[in-house]
Parts: sequence; C-alpha cells; structure tokens
Amino acid sequence: MSFEHVFSLTVSGVTVGMIYALIALGYTMVYGVLQLINFAHGEVFTVGGYIAASTLIWIGVDASTPLWVKLGYFALALVVSVVVTATLGWLIERVAYRPLRGRSRIIPLLSAIGVSIFLQNLLIVIFGPEPIIMPTAIVPAGFVNVFGARVRILQIIVIAVSLLLMALLTWIVKGTRIGKAMRATSQDREAAEMMGIETNRTISFTFVIGSALAAIGGFIVAMYYGSLQFDTGFLYGLKAFTAAVLGGIGNIPGAVVGSLILGLAENWGVGLTLGLLAWLFVVGLALGLYIQMVHAPRRRIDHIADEFRTPEYEGRLKAVYRLAPVVAVKTLLSERTDALVHVSARHAVQLMAGNLVLFAFAVVFFMNGDVQFSSKWQHVISFAVLMAILMFRPSGILGENIQEKV
Amino acid sequence: MAGTFRRVADVFGRIPRWVYIVAALVLAIVFPMLEQAGLMQTLWLRLGTRTLVYVLLAVGLNLVLGETGLLHLGYVAFFAVGAYSTAILSSPRLGIHWNFWVIIVIATVLAMLFGFVIGMPTLRLRGDYLAIVTLAFGEITRMTFNNWESVTNGPGGIPGIFPPNLFGWVVDKPAEFFYLLLASVVLVVWLLNNLKKSRVGRAWNALREDEIASHHSGVRPTQVKMLAVVLSSGIAGLAGAIFAYYQQFINPTYFLFMQSTIVVCMVVLGGMGSIPGAIVGAVVLDATPEIIRQAFTQWLPDALGSDFLPGVQTALQTDFDRYRMLIFGLVIVLMVIFRPEGLLPDQLWRREVHDEDPRDQEHTRQHLFDFEEGEKDLEV
Amino acid sequence: MWHERTRKLLAVGLALALAASMFGLVGCNGTEDGGEEDGGEAGATETIKIGVHTSLTGGLADYGFAAAEALKIAAEDFSGFEVDGTTYEIELVIKDDKGEPAEAPIVAQQLVDEGVIGVIGCLTSGNTNASLPIYQSAGIPVISGSATAPDLTEAGFENFFRTCLRDDLQGAAIGEWAVELGSKKAVVMDDRGDYAVALGNEVQAALEAAGVDVLRQEGQEGDVDFSAQVNNIKNFGPDAVIFTGYHREAGLLFKQLKEAGVDAQFMGGDGIKSDEIAAEAGGAENVEGALCTFGGFAQENMPGYAEFAAKFREATGKEAGPYSENNYDALGALVDAIKIAGGTDGAALIDALHEVEYDGVQGTLTFDDKGDVSVPGGGGTDLIPRFEFTEGTWQFIG
Repeated sequence: MSFEHVFSLTVSGVTVGMIYALIALGYTMVYGVLQLINFAHGEVFTVGGYIAASTLIWIGVDASTPLWVKLGYFALALVVSVVVTATLGWLIERVAYRPLRGRSRIIPLLSAIGVSIFLQNLLIVIFGPEPIIMPTAIVPAGFVNVFGARVRILQIIVIAVSLLLMALLTWIVKGTRIGKAMRATSQDREAAEMMGIETNRTISFTFVIGSALAAIGGFIVAMYYGSLQFDTGFLYGLKAFTAAVLGGIGNIPGAVVGSLILGLAENWGVGLTLGLLAWLFVVGLALGLYIQMVHAPRRRIDHIADEFRTPEYEGRLKAVYRLAPVVAVKTLLSERTDALVHVSARHAVQLMAGNLVLFAFAVVFFMNGDVQFSSKWQHVISFAVLMAILMFRPSGILGENIQEKV
Repeated sequence: MAGTFRRVADVFGRIPRWVYIVAALVLAIVFPMLEQAGLMQTLWLRLGTRTLVYVLLAVGLNLVLGETGLLHLGYVAFFAVGAYSTAILSSPRLGIHWNFWVIIVIATVLAMLFGFVIGMPTLRLRGDYLAIVTLAFGEITRMTFNNWESVTNGPGGIPGIFPPNLFGWVVDKPAEFFYLLLASVVLVVWLLNNLKKSRVGRAWNALREDEIASHHSGVRPTQVKMLAVVLSSGIAGLAGAIFAYYQQFINPTYFLFMQSTIVVCMVVLGGMGSIPGAIVGAVVLDATPEIIRQAFTQWLPDALGSDFLPGVQTALQTDFDRYRMLIFGLVIVLMVIFRPEGLLPDQLWRREVHDEDPRDQEHTRQHLFDFEEGEKDLEV
Repeated sequence: MWHERTRKLLAVGLALALAASMFGLVGCNGTEDGGEEDGGEAGATETIKIGVHTSLTGGLADYGFAAAEALKIAAEDFSGFEVDGTTYEIELVIKDDKGEPAEAPIVAQQLVDEGVIGVIGCLTSGNTNASLPIYQSAGIPVISGSATAPDLTEAGFENFFRTCLRDDLQGAAIGEWAVELGSKKAVVMDDRGDYAVALGNEVQAALEAAGVDVLRQEGQEGDVDFSAQVNNIKNFGPDAVIFTGYHREAGLLFKQLKEAGVDAQFMGGDGIKSDEIAAEAGGAENVEGALCTFGGFAQENMPGYAEFAAKFREATGKEAGPYSENNYDALGALVDAIKIAGGTDGAALIDALHEVEYDGVQGTLTFDDKGDVSVPGGGGTDLIPRFEFTEGTWQFIG
C-alpha cells in the first residue's frame, strides 16, 4: 500500500466525484425549487452525451484536423448538446411535471420514472443498444506525473471545468435577479407569485440550467471514457442523487461535498485495506466527539432565553452531553425535566450511539487491517451509503438549509 | 361520441360487481382447460401463468402504493427473497429438499421480516425519500444474491429446483401451476379485500389522503404503514416462492430494477388503491404486448397472407422490447396526468385526485400544451 | 325476485359466451399451428421443423445473428436428405429470447408448441438453464453451439448436447497460456455476469494451481468507470491482466489501464473476441497485442472452415462470427441423428445423438455420455485456439 496508490485513488475519486457533482447540482436545484426528485435527470445527462458525441461523429473529426478547428468543433458540439438538452429539460417540466403540481409527492415522482423509462428506450430506438463511440481525436491525451502517480490532463480539465461551473452556478443563484427569484420560489411559491415573481418561468429556468449542466456532464463522461451507452445515465443519476442527498438536498455546496465524498468512498472503499479505511473512522470519531462534547452543548446553550440563562442551567446541559450515557439516560427516564433538557438528552444519546458505531467500525477494521473489500461490492457501498444517509440523517451532512436552499 | 361512451360505461357500471368476479373466476378456471383440450397452445398457458405472478405482485404492491400511498421501488427484492429461499431450500444446490408448505411459510415470513427490517427506519421518511431507499434496497439485494456465491451460486443461478409436493400432488405441469397461482391470488385478494373494508383499511386510506389529519384522529401512522409494508412484502415473497418452483431455475437477472417499475406501471394503470384495478393493470400490461406481437407476426399473416405488413412484422420481431418499454414509460406519464385514478378506479382515490372543480381540470388540460410565456396555471 | 335472478344469470351467461368466443379465437389458431408432422410414408416428402432458440436482440445480439445466419446456411445445405425413402425438408423456426432468462422459457414453449423435433440453442448458459426443463418435459433434444457453462452437462439433462467446448477447458487454457508467457503475478477480472464469473473462476483456479500470484477484481456489466480496479491493478503490478467478460467492458478497462500506465499483457476469453473492442477502447493502439482464446476448436485446423466461411460471407456479406460454425455443426449432428434414428421421435433422436459420428466443419464430432462434444484423439487444452489483436483485428496465432 504505497502512497502513490492512495494518491492516485484519491485523484480518481475526485474526478469521479466532480462528474457526479455536475449531475447532482441539477437534482439539487430542482429539488430545492420544486421538492421534486427529477428521476429523469440521469437520462437527460445521457442524452447530453449522446448529442455531443453524435454531433462530433457527424462533423467527422480526425487526428489531422488542426487544433483550433478541433476547438471550434468542440465548442459547436458543446453548444448543440447544451441547447438540445436544455430544451429537453424544459419540455419534460412543461409536459410531465407542471400539470401535476400541487399533487401529493409521489405522483410527480411516478411521472418522472415514466419519463426516465421513456427516454432510455427512446435512445435505444434512435441510436440502437450499442454504445456510441466518441471520436478520440477530440480528446486531449497526455498526462503529468504527480508524486509518482499519473494524472491525465483530461482529469485536470474535468475538475477545473466542474469547479468553474459550480462557481458560475453559485453566482447565478446568489448574485442575479433570476437567482433571487429561484430562491424566493423555493421558499414559498405562492408568496413569491404574489410579489410579482413569475414562478413558472423561474421553474422552467431551473430545469434549463440543471439540464445544461447535465449535458456538460454527459459530454465530459463521453470524452473521459470514450463511449456512452443508453443506460449509463441511470446509474450515474442514482449516484448523483445519492451525492445530493448525502450533502443535503437543495444545498449547492452540499451537492459538491456529497459528490466528493461518494467519489472517494467508491475508490477508497475497494482500493484501500481496512487498516487504512479505519483511520477514516478515527477521523469521523474525532469529529463526532467534538460535536458531542463541544459543538452541540454550545448550540443548545445559545437556545436558552436570556432570562433563564444561569451557570447551573448551562452546566446541566453540558453535563447531559458530556456525561452521557449516565446523565442522559437518567434524564430521559425521569418524569420531571423541562423540554430543552429532555431534547438535549435524546440528542446526546443519539450522538453517543453514532460515536459508538464509529468506534466499533474503527476497531473491527483495525483488527482486520490487511483485508480489502472485494471490488464486487463497489456499487453496494454507494447504495448502502444512500440507504444509511436517508435512514439516519435524511437532511444530509450540510443539512437542507431552508433559508439558503438554492 | 362522448355521450355514447358514457352510456356504455353506465350499462357496464350497472352490472353488479359479483357478476364480474364470477366471470373472471370462470374465465380463469376454464383457461387451462382449453390447453388440456388441445384448443390452445401451451405458450398461452405459460404467458397466463406469468401474468398471474404479476397479478400477485401488483395486488401486493397496490397495498403499499395504492392503499397507503407509499412509493416502493424495490418491490422485486422481496420477490427475490422468496424465490431464493425456495431455490436454496429445495434444490440440489445445497442438497436440501424441504417440504413445500414449510418453504412457502419460510419464504413468506422471511420476506415479511425483510419488509419489517427495511420499513422500521424508513417509514417515517417522506414519500419520495422512501421511494429512493427502497430502490437502493432492491439493488443491494440483487447484488448481494449476485455476489454471495457460496450460497446462491452467484450469477450462475440455481438450476434444478424440485417441483412442489402438496400432500402427494406433485405440481409440475403449467396448468397445475396456473391453478396453484390462481388459488394464491384468490386467497390473497380475499384477504386484502376484507382488510380493506376493516378499520385497518380505512386507516391506510386515511393516511394516504392526509397523514397529519389521520394521525390526529387516532391513527398510528408508523404501525399502520408497517402492517401494509410487511403484508405486501409477504405477498411478494409468496409470489417469488411459487415463481421459483415454476421456473425451476432462477438467477439474479430475474430481479432487475426494471421488474419493480413494471409492477409500479401495472398498479398505476389499473388504478391505485383498487384491487380489481391492480389485477386488470397486470393482465393488460403483461398480456397485451404478447397478444399484439402474436397478432401481427402470426395470426394476421396467417389469415391475410404472409405479406401482411412485413415491416411491422420485422419491427415486432427485432425491436419489440424497446417499443414495449417505451410505451410503458409513456403509459405512466399519461396516466398520472390524464387519468390518475387508473382504469378501474377506487372510489375514494378518485374523489381524492379530482377534488378540484371539474371545469378547472378541463381548463388545465387545455392549457397543457399552451406554450405562451407567462400563462398562469390554474392549479395551485 | 326471480326477475333479478334471471338478469344475473343472463349476465353470467353473457360473460361466459364472451370468454368462450375470445378463447375460441385463440384456440383456433393453436390448432392450426400444432402437430403437422408425423406423416412419414415411404417416398413422401416431409417438412421437419427445427427450432432455433437464440438472442437476436439484447447485449449479445451479434452472437445471435451469427448463429441464426449459420443455421440458415446449414438448413439450406442439409435440406432434402433421405431416410428410409422419405425426403426431409428442414424448416427453421427462429425465435429470439432477448438474452433474458425470464424470456427463455416462453420462447422454449413457443418452439415446443410449434412442434419442432429438435432445438439448436440457447445462446447463453443462463438461458439454457432456464429453458431446459421445458424441453426436457417435451422430450426434445437440444444442441447448443455456444452454451459453455460446465454445470449444464453435469446437471443430468439427458436431452442436452453441445458442439462447443466447456468453460473449464477454456479457463485452463487461458491459465496455461499466461503461465507459458512467464506470468508470475496475474489479475483476473470479471464483470459479475454468469459467463464471466464462471470463466474467471476457472482461470483463477488454473493460475493458482500453477503457483501464480492472483489478484481477483470485479466490475459490473454496464459500468464505464473502472478507476478503483485500475488503481488496484496498478498497485499490484501484474504481468498479465485477464478479463473474462465481454468486449465492451474489456475495451473500457484496457483503455483505462493503458492511460494509467499499466504495462501488462492484456488477455481475455472469447467474450472479448470482437473487432469492436478497438473502438470501445478508444483506438486500436490500446488493444494492440492483446490475446484471447476461443471456446470452440481452432478454425484454422478445421477441415471445412474455409468453405463454411466463404458460404457465410456470400450469404451475409460479413465474416463468420463467433460460434457460427458450432451452430452449423449442431444442425448437422441433428440431421445425422435423424438418419440413425430413422425418424424424428424425440427419445430416439436423443439416443441416436450419442451414436452420432458426424463429419462437420469442426472435424469429426461425437458426443460423450453427458452430451459434451469430443473429438477423436484429443480433449486437452491444446484444442483451444489462440488469437492476438494486431492491425485492428483478431489474428489466429495457433
């Protein structure tokens, strides 16, 4: 287990994570504005890749094409793909989601699943079930050596482009008029409408932006791997959704953080020995203990209204967190406590249970330090992360920040 | 035109319900006899048996998706649990050959247990999150069966499953399986129909319509939902067990995510919350494609000469499956937009989805394809 | 009161009549299709139906296409043979199971209903496993040209035969080849599909028996990203990487290995033997020098291959695809069995197939007790042909 190995796993993980992030942003924006899981987003991503690749095939680039012409073709393919895909996203919202607005949550989701199946099979009908091959001439080859590990130029481009797009998106949401409209719509659609915001147009815009990002993601994947198949987007869509939920859905930085974590988890999970993975749990445990001992009690104390704030009361809250299990359990069992202490005790027990789980994992992993997860469990790891996060912390790592949502 | 439709629908609506039930039962009982009498190809019996498996699954899923309003996208996982318990406990794979009844009970109970374990932490989630958790669970289950080679033989699957022996009656012909499945369908439908009319059934529907209001009326959401999830998992496990016996071979590719979505399609098409709807949805979606294929590739060419629409014939022979799934996708979208209550709606659900003024609805539909910017939608 | 009851009775009667008429329609058709043969008088001409159970759509469509085309050629070649004064004309009934085991039993039943006297298929081992129970209860012989899983002939189906070699032989051959090339550390990777896992297990066993240090890796069918596996492989530093799945994933894997700078001999089973691998690997240079084996006999040593390949090219305009000659021989063996049995009765055909000594494209074929193909004077790994990818295509090297 050399450093070089860990490093190149990390680079791969970050690259994969950045690709997830481009798709996850689309999920997260739509969810933020509409509270709808746009299940067809993965397919929109595939369509983006297909359109870009078939545009380039249609133009017909080869190795002899001069670089600036190649760049022109590249830009053309990108524009065509983004325009077509954005139109598709707009159309999906208009036809399949808008008539269902205001219905219970699962109805639009059903419609989204229908759209997803439809698009996947439409791709087969149009392009056939064989993968579409990206012309290799357009893909920048070459690599640099960093710490003895190979890093492809394309990997650096992928990461840079993703970061750039995320910055752009953040600026759109935070710094522009339409971004303000998006935030208003996501907080309260009716109120926004009363304030004169055209919510329908805003929602359409959200879909257009999300789909455009997915198109760029599709293009990048087609370039990075050289080919794309009709069902590639399904798994990517699920992974990206996992990432969005992991970071806290509706939360743009969350989508990026979640994507990175997932990308790294997939690569580290089957690439590192348990002995190394155990350190992650040690870090997690340290973080968990910090939250339990320092962060959480401070947050609670901040909640105390000024007239009740006494050193004894603060001390009691701190004790609930720091001396859990004893105090917490005792508090939970006793009938006569006030609400804040009771809630704190419950929270403390949960935190402690989480820390215990982390500790147990760390111990078990250290004890089997030489073992490595078989790579056949790679997808299971991501799905297990998805299930665990939805079951135990559905608001994600950074939280579904209601105020800042989109 | 619409008037004629309504009049016809009225006439059919006036026929009492038991007539339909009797007719359906008689049809189902007569169906295998046609094959026995040599009037029908065994193929149709096999397709009918497959349809019955789907009916069982659709009725089971209807319990969570339709009655309780929980979107379950990993339903096929419980089917897989049932099928694999049967295959492992009654095949040369590990050399175990247990009694049919024991295995049916184990398969059902094990699937229920899985449903309980997965339901416990997830049922308090919002509906859309639950959908994704169940999807992930379905995929994990399939991959686990695929990877756990020492027991399940991995992707190679388990061949040679022993035929079931019901008190000396060895079930191994398609017709016998058809009756076995039919008996299970009747039993399950009878059970669910009674449950639907009971307090529990009303609690399910109340939860679907308004969770908060029903909670305050004394319904315990988690327990009641859990009952639905556990029961429906058990039904899938039962279906899986019989399916494994019938196929005599299973491998993980029987349990792809696509299978779950097909069952969801069936429930949505038939009418969420309606047991006859789920049955009709399964029959329509499973049988119609085969009938269309057979009609255009065999019956019509036989009747009208082999040059009848050769283009359609080749398209159906080579690209049929793609178009089938394409249409399935379209069916879901169109159904939830234009007829969310399904083909055979449940009365309650119908009222729920059409609570707005019918005239407004008409208006909404007209404006669906009106792309003028700034058009205010009527629904809120 | 009685009025109400009459109405109910009428309704039930109506429903029944409706049902009867509906199934009458279906039924009529059933009788038209069923049981046409069993005529067999001396001097007469009889048309026998032979089923082709293959996968013309789905992931393995190119293999299915090759099989179906080879069988069409074979049907033309063999049609009109005479047994006891009866001239037999062959009619192929080609059915597609989409490569899905769930569809395979339906297709099997369709063929049984059509009244076929024998079946050539299925394309994959999984689908064969799924449909053999139906063929067995119908008493119809099944000869596959491409189902290579060992357990098929070990499961005790007396009606199953095959004209291709088994995975365990091919796996041993790949392992032997890697050892011959001086491999000390090898990676075996599969795609979690039934074929790849079975072959991968055989290769791994063969390599480990020869004392080679083996790292096992797995991808998933349909994946595009193998970065974790590639990093593991690079860290392991093997001299051979053996991928036992199909060409799509193999292309992606080899491309990513090359890009990561892994310098090892790329090898594979017959799943990667497709020229499309060059495009899928992002250019032929990424596959250049890769090696693969094949689950049939060496085409170049086959007495009738040149002639067959020419016919195939003439009929389809394409090169004879993988396993096409095995399918051709499967039909030939069945025809031989009809001659020996003197008729088309299923049980007699199954017995006759064990006695067949058929001079086919691949050489003189016989079937052993289990139904596996055997050629006189051989049975070892030297039967397995080897190929190298040079100049954009797989070239036979011995």
